[in-house]
Amino acid sequence: AAEPWPENAALYQQLKEEQILLSDNASSLAVQAFLQMCNLPIRVICRANAEYMSPSGKVPFIHVGNQVVSELGPIVQFVKAKGHSLSDGLDEVQKAEMKAYMELVNNMLLTAELYLQWCDDVTVEEITHPRYGSPYPWPLNRILSYQKQWEVRRKMKAIGWAGKTLEQVLEDVDQCCHALSQRLGTQPYFFNKHPTELDALVFGHLFTILTTQLITDELSEKVKNYSNLTAFCRRIEQQYFEGHEKDSSAVAARSSKRSLLR
Amino acid sequence: MAAPMELSCWGGDWGLPSLHPESLTVMAYAKFSGAPLIVNTINNSWRATKGNLPVLVSEDIVISQPAKILNFLRKQKYNADYDLSAKQGADTLAYIALLEEKLLPALLHTFWIEAENYCSVTKPWFASKIAFPLSLYLPGKMSREALNRILLTKGGPPLYSLTEVEAQIYRDAKECLNLLSKRLGTSQFFFGDTPTTLDAFVFGFLAPIYKVCFPRVQLQEHLKQLPNLCRFCDDILTCYFRLTVSGHSPAGQDTADANLQKLTQLVNKESNLIEKMDDNLRKSPQHPPRKLTTLKLAAGGEESSPMSRLSP
Repeated sequence: AAEPWPENAALYQQLKEEQILLSDNASSLAVQAFLQMCNLPIRVICRANAEYMSPSGKVPFIHVGNQVVSELGPIVQFVKAKGHSLSDGLDEVQKAEMKAYMELVNNMLLTAELYLQWCDDVTVEEITHPRYGSPYPWPLNRILSYQKQWEVRRKMKAIGWAGKTLEQVLEDVDQCCHALSQRLGTQPYFFNKHPTELDALVFGHLFTILTTQLITDELSEKVKNYSNLTAFCRRIEQQYFEGHEKDSSAVAARSSKRSLLR
Repeated sequence: MAAPMELSCWGGDWGLPSLHPESLTVMAYAKFSGAPLIVNTINNSWRATKGNLPVLVSEDIVISQPAKILNFLRKQKYNADYDLSAKQGADTLAYIALLEEKLLPALLHTFWIEAENYCSVTKPWFASKIAFPLSLYLPGKMSREALNRILLTKGGPPLYSLTEVEAQIYRDAKECLNLLSKRLGTSQFFFGDTPTTLDAFVFGFLAPIYKVCFPRVQLQEHLKQLPNLCRFCDDILTCYFRLTVSGHSPAGQDTADANLQKLTQLVNKESNLIEKMDDNLRKSPQHPPRKLTTLKLAAGGEESSPMSRLSP
Protein backbone atom coordinates (compact mmCIF):
# COMPACT_ATOMS: atom_id res chain seq x y z
CA ALA A 1 0.00 0.00 0.00
CA ALA A 2 1.42 3.32 -1.00
CA GLU A 3 -0.27 5.45 1.64
CA PRO A 4 -2.69 4.48 4.33
CA TRP A 5 -6.34 5.21 3.84
CA PRO A 6 -7.05 8.59 5.46
CA GLU A 7 -9.68 8.98 8.13
CA ASN A 8 -11.55 11.74 6.44
CA ALA A 9 -12.23 10.02 3.11
CA ALA A 10 -15.57 11.22 1.83
CA LEU A 11 -18.05 10.11 -0.77
CA TYR A 12 -20.19 12.76 -2.40
CA GLN A 13 -23.63 12.23 -3.85
CA GLN A 14 -26.77 14.24 -4.33
CA LEU A 15 -29.25 14.97 -1.56
CA LYS A 16 -30.67 11.71 -0.43
CA GLU A 17 -34.22 12.53 0.47
CA GLU A 18 -35.20 15.07 -2.12
CA GLN A 19 -32.91 15.06 -5.09
CA ILE A 20 -31.14 11.84 -5.90
CA LEU A 21 -32.53 9.67 -8.68
CA LEU A 22 -32.75 5.92 -9.07
CA SER A 23 -29.68 5.41 -11.26
CA ASP A 24 -27.43 7.72 -9.25
CA ASN A 25 -28.51 6.14 -6.01
CA ALA A 26 -27.71 2.70 -7.41
CA SER A 27 -24.22 3.78 -8.47
CA SER A 28 -23.58 5.44 -5.14
CA LEU A 29 -24.74 2.42 -3.17
CA ALA A 30 -22.52 0.17 -5.28
CA VAL A 31 -19.45 2.24 -4.40
CA GLN A 32 -20.38 2.32 -0.73
CA ALA A 33 -20.83 -1.45 -0.71
CA PHE A 34 -17.49 -1.94 -2.42
CA LEU A 35 -15.66 0.22 0.10
CA GLN A 36 -17.37 -1.55 2.99
CA MET A 37 -16.31 -4.88 1.54
CA CYS A 38 -12.73 -3.64 1.40
CA ASN A 39 -13.08 -2.45 4.98
CA LEU A 40 -12.27 1.12 4.12
CA PRO A 41 -14.20 3.68 6.16
CA ILE A 42 -15.89 6.47 4.29
CA ARG A 43 -18.30 9.26 5.11
CA VAL A 44 -21.22 9.98 2.83
CA ILE A 45 -21.71 13.68 2.20
CA CYS A 46 -24.75 14.92 0.33
CA ARG A 47 -24.44 18.02 -1.77
CA ALA A 48 -26.86 19.44 -4.27
CA ASN A 49 -24.15 20.14 -6.80
CA ALA A 50 -22.36 16.80 -6.48
CA GLU A 51 -22.76 16.14 -10.20
CA TYR A 52 -20.93 19.32 -11.08
CA MET A 53 -18.16 18.76 -8.58
CA SER A 54 -17.37 15.38 -10.01
CA PRO A 55 -14.43 15.20 -12.43
CA SER A 56 -16.36 13.12 -14.91
CA GLY A 57 -19.79 14.62 -14.37
CA LYS A 58 -21.10 11.45 -12.80
CA VAL A 59 -21.83 10.61 -9.20
CA PRO A 60 -20.65 9.27 -6.88
CA PHE A 61 -17.12 10.44 -6.47
CA ILE A 62 -14.74 10.02 -3.57
CA HIS A 63 -12.35 12.52 -2.10
CA VAL A 64 -9.40 10.73 -0.56
CA GLY A 65 -6.39 12.67 0.62
CA ASN A 66 -5.94 15.14 -2.18
CA GLN A 67 -7.35 12.98 -4.97
CA VAL A 68 -10.79 12.91 -6.44
CA VAL A 69 -11.97 9.81 -8.28
CA SER A 70 -15.42 9.19 -9.70
CA GLU A 71 -17.38 6.14 -10.82
CA LEU A 72 -16.98 2.56 -9.73
CA GLY A 73 -14.46 1.45 -12.38
CA PRO A 74 -11.81 4.10 -11.66
CA ILE A 75 -12.48 3.85 -7.90
CA VAL A 76 -11.77 0.11 -7.99
CA GLN A 77 -8.49 0.78 -9.76
CA PHE A 78 -7.61 3.58 -7.36
CA VAL A 79 -8.26 1.37 -4.36
CA LYS A 80 -6.20 -1.38 -5.96
CA ALA A 81 -3.30 1.03 -6.35
CA LYS A 82 -3.57 1.65 -2.62
CA GLY A 83 -3.15 -2.04 -2.04
CA HIS A 84 -6.70 -3.25 -1.42
CA SER A 85 -8.34 -5.51 -3.92
CA LEU A 86 -11.23 -7.93 -3.83
CA SER A 87 -10.54 -9.74 -7.08
CA ASP A 88 -6.91 -10.76 -6.62
CA GLY A 89 -7.83 -14.32 -5.86
CA LEU A 90 -9.55 -14.86 -9.17
CA ASP A 91 -7.84 -16.52 -12.09
CA GLU A 92 -7.75 -14.99 -15.56
CA VAL A 93 -10.89 -16.63 -16.89
CA GLN A 94 -12.84 -15.62 -13.78
CA LYS A 95 -11.61 -12.05 -14.08
CA ALA A 96 -12.79 -11.99 -17.69
CA GLU A 97 -16.17 -13.29 -16.55
CA MET A 98 -16.39 -10.71 -13.81
CA LYS A 99 -15.68 -7.88 -16.22
CA ALA A 100 -18.22 -9.27 -18.67
CA TYR A 101 -20.94 -9.42 -16.00
CA MET A 102 -20.17 -5.91 -14.84
CA GLU A 103 -20.61 -4.72 -18.41
CA LEU A 104 -23.90 -6.61 -18.55
CA VAL A 105 -25.17 -4.79 -15.48
CA ASN A 106 -24.04 -1.44 -16.85
CA ASN A 107 -25.37 -2.15 -20.30
CA MET A 108 -28.78 -3.43 -19.30
CA LEU A 109 -29.71 -2.47 -15.76
CA LEU A 110 -28.22 1.00 -15.69
CA THR A 111 -29.51 1.86 -19.15
CA ALA A 112 -32.96 0.56 -18.22
CA GLU A 113 -32.94 2.73 -15.09
CA LEU A 114 -31.95 5.76 -17.13
CA TYR A 115 -34.66 4.95 -19.69
CA LEU A 116 -37.29 4.66 -17.00
CA GLN A 117 -36.27 7.90 -15.37
CA TRP A 118 -35.84 10.07 -18.39
CA CYS A 119 -37.70 8.58 -21.34
CA ASP A 120 -40.92 7.36 -19.76
CA ASP A 121 -43.14 10.42 -19.83
CA VAL A 122 -45.22 9.66 -16.77
CA THR A 123 -42.19 9.02 -14.57
CA VAL A 124 -40.44 12.08 -15.93
CA GLU A 125 -43.34 14.39 -15.16
CA GLU A 126 -44.21 13.07 -11.76
CA ILE A 127 -40.92 12.05 -10.27
CA THR A 128 -37.80 12.99 -12.17
CA HIS A 129 -38.42 16.65 -12.98
CA PRO A 130 -39.54 17.64 -9.48
CA ARG A 131 -36.71 15.76 -7.83
CA TYR A 132 -33.83 16.64 -10.12
CA GLY A 133 -34.18 20.38 -9.83
CA SER A 134 -35.55 20.53 -6.30
CA PRO A 135 -32.64 22.42 -4.67
CA TYR A 136 -32.86 25.21 -7.20
CA PRO A 137 -35.36 28.02 -7.66
CA TRP A 138 -37.66 28.30 -10.64
CA PRO A 139 -36.88 28.54 -13.56
CA LEU A 140 -33.45 27.03 -13.02
CA ASN A 141 -34.89 23.75 -11.84
CA ARG A 142 -36.90 23.26 -15.02
CA ILE A 143 -34.02 24.30 -17.26
CA LEU A 144 -31.58 21.89 -15.64
CA SER A 145 -34.07 19.04 -15.82
CA TYR A 146 -34.83 19.60 -19.46
CA GLN A 147 -31.16 19.89 -20.29
CA LYS A 148 -30.37 16.61 -18.61
CA GLN A 149 -33.36 14.94 -20.20
CA TRP A 150 -32.29 16.07 -23.65
CA GLU A 151 -28.79 14.73 -23.03
CA VAL A 152 -30.02 11.32 -21.86
CA ARG A 153 -32.50 11.00 -24.72
CA ARG A 154 -29.74 11.74 -27.23
CA LYS A 155 -27.66 8.98 -25.75
CA MET A 156 -30.58 6.55 -25.82
CA LYS A 157 -31.13 7.33 -29.47
CA ALA A 158 -27.47 6.76 -30.31
CA ILE A 159 -27.45 3.31 -28.74
CA GLY A 160 -30.78 2.33 -30.21
CA TRP A 161 -32.90 2.32 -27.05
CA ALA A 162 -35.08 5.26 -28.06
CA GLY A 163 -37.27 3.01 -30.16
CA LYS A 164 -37.96 0.61 -27.31
CA THR A 165 -41.23 0.56 -25.45
CA LEU A 166 -41.43 0.27 -21.70
CA GLU A 167 -42.45 -3.38 -21.98
CA GLN A 168 -39.37 -4.17 -24.01
CA VAL A 169 -37.17 -2.40 -21.49
CA LEU A 170 -38.74 -4.35 -18.64
CA GLU A 171 -38.22 -7.54 -20.60
CA ASP A 172 -34.55 -6.68 -20.95
CA VAL A 173 -34.36 -6.13 -17.21
CA ASP A 174 -35.96 -9.50 -16.69
CA GLN A 175 -33.43 -11.15 -19.00
CA CYS A 176 -30.59 -9.50 -17.15
CA CYS A 177 -31.92 -10.57 -13.76
CA HIS A 178 -32.44 -14.08 -15.07
CA ALA A 179 -28.80 -14.20 -16.19
CA LEU A 180 -27.59 -12.86 -12.84
CA SER A 181 -29.77 -15.29 -10.96
CA GLN A 182 -28.48 -18.22 -12.98
CA ARG A 183 -24.90 -17.15 -12.46
CA LEU A 184 -25.38 -16.69 -8.72
CA GLY A 185 -27.16 -19.99 -8.28
CA THR A 186 -27.01 -21.07 -4.65
CA GLN A 187 -23.66 -19.51 -3.86
CA PRO A 188 -23.39 -16.74 -1.30
CA TYR A 189 -21.50 -14.47 -3.70
CA PHE A 190 -20.87 -14.49 -7.41
CA PHE A 191 -17.41 -15.94 -7.03
CA ASN A 192 -18.22 -18.27 -4.24
CA LYS A 193 -16.75 -17.39 -0.91
CA HIS A 194 -15.68 -13.79 -1.14
CA PRO A 195 -17.43 -10.77 -2.47
CA THR A 196 -15.95 -8.86 -5.39
CA GLU A 197 -16.74 -5.59 -7.11
CA LEU A 198 -19.33 -7.44 -9.16
CA ASP A 199 -21.26 -8.27 -5.98
CA ALA A 200 -21.07 -4.62 -4.93
CA LEU A 201 -22.34 -3.43 -8.30
CA VAL A 202 -25.20 -5.92 -8.46
CA PHE A 203 -26.16 -5.17 -4.86
CA GLY A 204 -26.21 -1.42 -5.53
CA HIS A 205 -28.55 -1.73 -8.48
CA LEU A 206 -30.85 -4.46 -7.20
CA PHE A 207 -31.26 -3.04 -3.71
CA THR A 208 -32.11 0.37 -5.10
CA ILE A 209 -34.64 -1.10 -7.51
CA LEU A 210 -36.22 -3.12 -4.73
CA THR A 211 -36.52 -0.25 -2.29
CA THR A 212 -37.52 2.59 -4.54
CA GLN A 213 -41.10 3.56 -5.03
CA LEU A 214 -41.90 4.51 -8.56
CA ILE A 215 -45.19 5.07 -10.37
CA THR A 216 -45.67 1.36 -10.81
CA ASP A 217 -44.08 -1.63 -9.18
CA GLU A 218 -43.20 -3.40 -12.38
CA LEU A 219 -39.46 -2.89 -12.15
CA SER A 220 -39.13 -4.19 -8.63
CA GLU A 221 -41.50 -7.05 -9.39
CA LYS A 222 -39.12 -8.21 -12.08
CA VAL A 223 -36.33 -8.46 -9.56
CA LYS A 224 -38.52 -10.04 -6.90
CA ASN A 225 -39.23 -12.94 -9.21
CA TYR A 226 -35.77 -14.24 -8.44
CA SER A 227 -35.59 -15.26 -4.82
CA ASN A 228 -31.86 -15.88 -4.76
CA LEU A 229 -31.26 -12.29 -5.84
CA THR A 230 -33.42 -10.86 -3.05
CA ALA A 231 -31.70 -13.16 -0.56
CA PHE A 232 -28.36 -11.96 -1.90
CA CYS A 233 -29.31 -8.32 -1.33
CA ARG A 234 -30.53 -9.06 2.18
CA ARG A 235 -27.35 -10.91 3.01
CA ILE A 236 -25.06 -8.11 1.88
CA GLU A 237 -27.15 -5.52 3.63
CA GLN A 238 -26.98 -7.46 6.87
CA GLN A 239 -23.30 -8.08 6.63
CA TYR A 240 -22.03 -4.75 5.52
CA PHE A 241 -24.57 -2.11 6.32
CA GLU A 242 -26.31 -3.06 9.51
CA GLY A 243 -25.36 -0.88 12.42
CA HIS A 244 -23.89 1.87 10.30
CA GLU A 245 -26.14 4.88 10.40
CA LYS A 246 -24.11 6.67 7.80
CA ASP A 247 -25.93 4.65 5.22
CA SER A 248 -29.58 4.94 6.01
CA SER A 249 -30.52 2.33 3.47
CA ALA A 250 -29.68 -0.24 6.13
CA VAL A 251 -31.96 1.29 8.70
CA ALA A 252 -35.01 0.82 6.54
CA ALA A 253 -36.86 -2.42 6.93
CA ARG A 254 -35.45 -5.02 4.66
CA SER A 255 -38.28 -6.23 2.58
CA SER A 256 -40.81 -3.48 2.98
CA LYS A 257 -40.54 -0.72 0.48
CA ARG A 258 -38.79 2.35 1.60
CA SER A 259 -40.05 5.45 -0.03
CA LEU A 260 -36.94 6.86 -1.56
CA LEU A 261 -38.89 8.76 -4.09
CA ARG A 262 -42.09 10.59 -3.36
CA MET B 1 -41.68 -22.74 -40.82
CA ALA B 2 -42.49 -23.71 -44.37
CA ALA B 3 -42.27 -20.14 -45.51
CA PRO B 4 -38.81 -19.26 -46.69
CA MET B 5 -36.95 -16.70 -44.65
CA GLU B 6 -35.06 -14.02 -46.50
CA LEU B 7 -32.25 -12.09 -45.03
CA SER B 8 -31.18 -8.80 -46.56
CA CYS B 9 -27.73 -7.75 -45.54
CA TRP B 10 -24.51 -6.22 -46.69
CA GLY B 11 -22.33 -8.35 -48.89
CA GLY B 12 -18.79 -9.37 -48.30
CA ASP B 13 -15.30 -9.08 -49.56
CA TRP B 14 -11.79 -10.10 -48.60
CA GLY B 15 -12.97 -13.63 -47.99
CA LEU B 16 -15.87 -12.75 -45.73
CA PRO B 17 -19.53 -13.37 -46.46
CA SER B 18 -20.31 -9.91 -45.14
CA LEU B 19 -18.42 -6.85 -43.98
CA HIS B 20 -21.05 -5.65 -41.59
CA PRO B 21 -20.64 -7.09 -38.06
CA GLU B 22 -24.35 -7.48 -37.38
CA SER B 23 -25.08 -9.09 -40.74
CA LEU B 24 -22.20 -11.46 -40.20
CA THR B 25 -23.49 -12.41 -36.76
CA VAL B 26 -26.90 -13.33 -38.13
CA MET B 27 -25.45 -15.30 -41.03
CA ALA B 28 -23.13 -17.20 -38.72
CA TYR B 29 -25.96 -18.05 -36.33
CA ALA B 30 -28.10 -19.28 -39.21
CA LYS B 31 -25.30 -21.59 -40.31
CA PHE B 32 -24.72 -22.86 -36.79
CA SER B 33 -28.36 -23.60 -36.14
CA GLY B 34 -29.12 -24.96 -39.59
CA ALA B 35 -31.75 -22.38 -40.39
CA PRO B 36 -32.48 -22.24 -44.12
CA LEU B 37 -32.00 -18.61 -44.95
CA ILE B 38 -32.04 -17.08 -48.37
CA VAL B 39 -29.41 -14.40 -48.22
CA ASN B 40 -29.86 -11.34 -50.39
CA THR B 41 -26.87 -9.11 -50.39
CA ILE B 42 -27.40 -5.49 -51.23
CA ASN B 43 -26.07 -4.81 -54.67
CA ASN B 44 -26.82 -1.58 -56.29
CA SER B 45 -30.53 -1.96 -56.57
CA TRP B 46 -33.09 0.40 -55.17
CA ARG B 47 -34.80 -2.10 -52.95
CA ALA B 48 -34.50 -2.13 -49.19
CA THR B 49 -31.44 -0.04 -48.55
CA LYS B 50 -32.77 1.76 -45.58
CA GLY B 51 -29.47 1.50 -43.81
CA ASN B 52 -30.87 -0.59 -41.00
CA LEU B 53 -29.54 -3.93 -42.09
CA PRO B 54 -29.68 -6.84 -41.49
CA VAL B 55 -33.39 -7.38 -42.02
CA LEU B 56 -35.17 -10.71 -41.90
CA VAL B 57 -38.40 -11.12 -43.82
CA SER B 58 -40.53 -14.16 -43.22
CA GLU B 59 -44.04 -14.20 -44.67
CA ASP B 60 -45.21 -10.81 -43.51
CA ILE B 61 -43.01 -10.35 -40.52
CA VAL B 62 -40.10 -7.94 -40.78
CA ILE B 63 -37.48 -8.03 -38.06
CA SER B 64 -34.51 -5.78 -37.97
CA GLN B 65 -32.07 -6.08 -35.11
CA PRO B 66 -29.70 -9.02 -34.70
CA ALA B 67 -30.87 -9.87 -31.19
CA LYS B 68 -34.49 -9.91 -32.31
CA ILE B 69 -33.67 -11.91 -35.43
CA LEU B 70 -31.90 -14.51 -33.34
CA ASN B 71 -34.87 -14.69 -30.98
CA PHE B 72 -37.17 -15.23 -33.93
CA LEU B 73 -35.00 -18.02 -35.28
CA ARG B 74 -34.98 -19.66 -31.86
CA LYS B 75 -38.75 -19.55 -31.74
CA GLN B 76 -38.81 -21.26 -35.11
CA LYS B 77 -36.87 -24.06 -33.46
CA TYR B 78 -33.50 -23.18 -34.97
CA ASN B 79 -31.67 -23.06 -31.69
CA ALA B 80 -27.92 -23.25 -31.52
CA ASP B 81 -27.95 -22.94 -27.72
CA TYR B 82 -29.83 -26.13 -27.09
CA ASP B 83 -27.05 -27.83 -25.19
CA LEU B 84 -26.08 -24.92 -23.04
CA SER B 85 -26.62 -24.93 -19.31
CA ALA B 86 -28.42 -21.99 -17.73
CA LYS B 87 -25.18 -20.58 -16.41
CA GLN B 88 -23.63 -20.72 -19.87
CA GLY B 89 -26.64 -18.90 -21.25
CA ALA B 90 -26.07 -16.20 -18.64
CA ASP B 91 -22.40 -16.04 -19.58
CA THR B 92 -23.44 -15.55 -23.20
CA LEU B 93 -25.43 -12.44 -22.33
CA ALA B 94 -22.59 -11.07 -20.25
CA TYR B 95 -19.96 -11.56 -22.93
CA ILE B 96 -22.19 -10.05 -25.60
CA ALA B 97 -22.57 -6.97 -23.37
CA LEU B 98 -18.77 -6.87 -23.02
CA LEU B 99 -18.37 -6.98 -26.80
CA GLU B 100 -20.86 -4.19 -27.34
CA GLU B 101 -19.41 -1.93 -24.70
CA LYS B 102 -15.71 -2.45 -25.25
CA LEU B 103 -15.10 -3.75 -28.75
CA LEU B 104 -17.83 -2.17 -30.84
CA PRO B 105 -16.67 1.47 -30.40
CA ALA B 106 -13.20 0.63 -31.69
CA LEU B 107 -14.66 -1.42 -34.53
CA LEU B 108 -16.90 1.47 -35.56
CA HIS B 109 -13.96 3.82 -35.30
CA THR B 110 -11.72 1.68 -37.51
CA PHE B 111 -14.39 1.38 -40.16
CA TRP B 112 -16.11 4.73 -40.16
CA ILE B 113 -14.14 7.41 -38.41
CA GLU B 114 -10.45 6.84 -39.00
CA ALA B 115 -10.01 9.18 -41.94
CA GLU B 116 -7.67 7.09 -44.08
CA ASN B 117 -9.67 3.91 -43.59
CA TYR B 118 -12.96 5.58 -44.25
CA CYS B 119 -11.94 7.43 -47.39
CA SER B 120 -9.92 4.71 -49.02
CA VAL B 121 -11.79 1.55 -48.11
CA THR B 122 -15.11 1.83 -46.30
CA LYS B 123 -16.78 4.61 -48.22
CA PRO B 124 -15.95 3.37 -51.73
CA TRP B 125 -16.92 -0.16 -50.82
CA PHE B 126 -20.30 0.73 -49.34
CA ALA B 127 -20.97 3.32 -52.01
CA SER B 128 -20.37 0.74 -54.69
CA LYS B 129 -23.07 -1.46 -53.20
CA ILE B 130 -25.76 1.18 -53.04
CA ALA B 131 -27.65 2.70 -55.91
CA PHE B 132 -26.87 6.23 -56.99
CA PRO B 133 -27.73 8.84 -55.64
CA LEU B 134 -28.27 7.17 -52.26
CA SER B 135 -24.63 6.14 -52.40
CA LEU B 136 -23.66 9.76 -51.97
CA TYR B 137 -25.64 10.11 -48.79
CA LEU B 138 -25.82 6.81 -46.94
CA PRO B 139 -22.14 6.15 -46.17
CA GLY B 140 -21.83 9.67 -44.81
CA LYS B 141 -24.87 9.12 -42.64
CA MET B 142 -23.51 5.85 -41.28
CA SER B 143 -20.24 7.55 -40.49
CA ARG B 144 -21.94 10.38 -38.65
CA GLU B 145 -24.05 7.94 -36.66
CA ALA B 146 -20.96 6.00 -35.66
CA LEU B 147 -19.18 9.14 -34.49
CA ASN B 148 -22.25 10.26 -32.59
CA ARG B 149 -22.53 6.95 -30.84
CA ILE B 150 -18.91 6.90 -29.79
CA LEU B 151 -18.91 10.48 -28.55
CA LEU B 152 -22.13 10.13 -26.62
CA THR B 153 -21.26 6.90 -24.89
CA LYS B 154 -17.55 7.30 -24.37
CA GLY B 155 -16.77 10.92 -24.90
CA GLY B 156 -17.76 12.63 -21.69
CA PRO B 157 -15.33 14.37 -19.35
CA PRO B 158 -12.52 13.78 -18.34
CA LEU B 159 -11.86 12.91 -21.97
CA TYR B 160 -12.19 16.17 -23.78
CA SER B 161 -10.75 15.66 -27.23
CA LEU B 162 -11.41 13.09 -29.92
CA THR B 163 -7.84 11.80 -29.74
CA GLU B 164 -8.20 11.07 -26.03
CA VAL B 165 -11.45 9.24 -26.68
CA GLU B 166 -9.82 7.28 -29.48
CA ALA B 167 -6.92 6.29 -27.24
CA GLN B 168 -9.33 5.12 -24.55
CA ILE B 169 -11.54 3.07 -26.87
CA TYR B 170 -8.59 1.33 -28.47
CA ARG B 171 -7.22 0.50 -25.02
CA ASP B 172 -10.60 -0.94 -24.06
CA ALA B 173 -10.82 -2.90 -27.29
CA LYS B 174 -7.39 -4.43 -26.87
CA GLU B 175 -8.25 -5.40 -23.30
CA CYS B 176 -11.48 -6.94 -24.53
CA LEU B 177 -9.61 -8.97 -27.14
CA ASN B 178 -7.22 -10.19 -24.47
CA LEU B 179 -10.13 -11.22 -22.24
CA LEU B 180 -11.80 -13.08 -25.09
CA SER B 181 -8.59 -14.87 -25.89
CA LYS B 182 -8.19 -15.95 -22.27
CA ARG B 183 -11.76 -17.14 -22.14
CA LEU B 184 -11.43 -19.12 -25.36
CA GLY B 185 -8.18 -20.74 -24.31
CA THR B 186 -7.50 -23.80 -26.39
CA SER B 187 -11.02 -25.00 -26.99
CA GLN B 188 -12.57 -24.95 -30.41
CA PHE B 189 -15.56 -22.81 -29.56
CA PHE B 190 -16.51 -20.86 -26.51
CA PHE B 191 -18.69 -23.55 -25.01
CA GLY B 192 -17.06 -26.78 -26.06
CA ASP B 193 -17.27 -28.34 -29.48
CA THR B 194 -20.41 -26.88 -30.96
CA PRO B 195 -20.80 -23.24 -31.85
CA THR B 196 -23.47 -21.17 -30.12
CA THR B 197 -24.89 -17.66 -30.09
CA LEU B 198 -21.80 -16.30 -28.38
CA ASP B 199 -19.58 -17.75 -31.11
CA ALA B 200 -21.79 -16.08 -33.71
CA PHE B 201 -21.46 -12.69 -32.02
CA VAL B 202 -17.72 -12.97 -31.44
CA PHE B 203 -17.21 -14.09 -35.02
CA GLY B 204 -19.36 -11.23 -36.30
CA PHE B 205 -17.27 -8.69 -34.45
CA LEU B 206 -13.84 -10.21 -34.94
CA ALA B 207 -13.91 -11.32 -38.56
CA PRO B 208 -14.16 -7.83 -40.09
CA ILE B 209 -11.24 -6.65 -37.96
CA TYR B 210 -9.28 -9.71 -38.92
CA LYS B 211 -9.85 -9.81 -42.62
CA VAL B 212 -10.51 -6.39 -44.04
CA CYS B 213 -7.34 -4.71 -45.26
CA PHE B 214 -7.19 -1.19 -43.97
CA PRO B 215 -4.34 1.27 -44.18
CA ARG B 216 -4.52 1.88 -40.41
CA VAL B 217 -4.62 -1.46 -38.69
CA GLN B 218 -3.64 -1.21 -35.05
CA LEU B 219 -6.55 -3.37 -33.93
CA GLN B 220 -5.85 -6.00 -36.57
CA GLU B 221 -2.22 -6.19 -35.52
CA HIS B 222 -3.25 -6.70 -31.93
CA LEU B 223 -5.68 -9.39 -32.98
CA LYS B 224 -3.04 -11.20 -34.97
CA GLN B 225 -1.01 -11.53 -31.80
CA LEU B 226 -3.78 -13.67 -30.34
CA PRO B 227 -3.50 -16.81 -32.42
CA ASN B 228 -6.41 -18.67 -30.82
CA LEU B 229 -8.84 -15.95 -31.89
CA CYS B 230 -7.44 -15.96 -35.44
CA ARG B 231 -7.75 -19.72 -35.56
CA PHE B 232 -11.33 -19.41 -34.29
CA CYS B 233 -12.28 -17.08 -37.17
CA ASP B 234 -10.55 -19.17 -39.79
CA ASP B 235 -12.19 -22.34 -38.52
CA ILE B 236 -15.66 -20.88 -38.77
CA LEU B 237 -14.98 -19.48 -42.22
CA THR B 238 -13.70 -22.75 -43.62
CA CYS B 239 -16.17 -25.04 -41.87
CA TYR B 240 -19.37 -23.09 -42.07
CA PHE B 241 -18.99 -20.71 -44.92
CA ARG B 242 -17.05 -22.92 -47.32
CA LEU B 243 -15.07 -19.93 -48.39
CA THR B 244 -11.52 -20.62 -49.30
CA VAL B 245 -10.45 -17.40 -47.58
CA SER B 246 -9.55 -16.33 -51.14
CA GLY B 247 -7.02 -19.13 -51.09
CA HIS B 248 -4.62 -16.87 -49.22
CA SER B 249 -3.33 -16.84 -45.72
CA PRO B 250 -2.98 -13.32 -44.35
CA ALA B 251 0.75 -13.36 -45.00
CA GLY B 252 0.15 -14.58 -48.55
CA GLN B 253 -2.38 -11.87 -49.13
CA ASP B 254 0.10 -9.26 -47.96
CA THR B 255 2.74 -10.39 -50.42
CA ALA B 256 0.13 -10.48 -53.19
CA ASP B 257 -0.76 -6.91 -52.34
CA ALA B 258 2.87 -5.86 -52.23
CA ASN B 259 3.44 -7.41 -55.66
CA LEU B 260 0.38 -5.68 -56.98
CA GLN B 261 1.60 -2.37 -55.67
CA LYS B 262 5.02 -2.82 -57.24
CA LEU B 263 3.43 -3.70 -60.57
CA THR B 264 1.16 -0.68 -60.51
CA GLN B 265 4.08 1.54 -59.62
CA LEU B 266 6.11 0.24 -62.55
CA VAL B 267 3.25 0.72 -64.94
CA ASN B 268 2.66 4.22 -63.61
CA LYS B 269 6.30 5.08 -64.14
CA GLU B 270 6.08 3.84 -67.69
CA SER B 271 2.98 5.87 -68.33
CA ASN B 272 4.64 8.97 -66.89
CA LEU B 273 7.55 8.50 -69.26
CA ILE B 274 5.19 8.03 -72.15
CA GLU B 275 3.36 11.19 -71.15
CA LYS B 276 6.56 13.16 -71.12
CA MET B 277 7.48 11.88 -74.55
CA ASP B 278 4.06 12.74 -75.73
CA ASP B 279 4.32 16.27 -74.38
CA ASN B 280 7.52 16.73 -76.29
CA LEU B 281 5.92 15.42 -79.42
CA ARG B 282 2.91 17.65 -78.92
CA LYS B 283 5.06 20.71 -78.61
CA SER B 284 6.56 20.01 -82.00
CA PRO B 285 4.00 21.16 -84.57
CA GLN B 286 3.75 18.25 -87.00
CA HIS B 287 1.95 15.66 -84.80
CA PRO B 288 -1.69 15.88 -83.70
CA PRO B 289 -2.29 15.77 -79.96
CA ARG B 290 -2.98 12.35 -78.47
CA LYS B 291 -4.91 11.57 -75.33
CA LEU B 292 -3.42 9.31 -72.76
CA THR B 293 -5.11 7.69 -69.87
CA THR B 294 -3.34 8.05 -66.56
CA LEU B 295 -3.35 5.31 -64.05
CA LYS B 296 -4.23 5.74 -60.42
CA LEU B 297 -2.44 3.69 -57.86
CA ALA B 298 -5.03 1.32 -56.44
CA ALA B 299 -5.24 1.52 -52.62
CA GLY B 300 -3.62 -1.58 -51.18
CA GLY B 301 -6.03 -4.39 -50.61
CA GLU B 302 -8.81 -3.56 -52.97
CA GLU B 303 -8.73 -6.86 -54.68
CA SER B 304 -12.16 -6.49 -56.11
CA SER B 305 -11.11 -5.22 -59.48
CA PRO B 306 -7.37 -4.89 -59.65
CA MET B 307 -6.93 -6.15 -63.14
CA SER B 308 -9.47 -3.86 -64.73
CA ARG B 309 -7.71 -0.86 -63.19
CA LEU B 310 -4.48 -1.80 -64.82
CA SER B 311 -5.73 -2.03 -68.36
CA PRO B 312 -4.52 1.10 -70.11
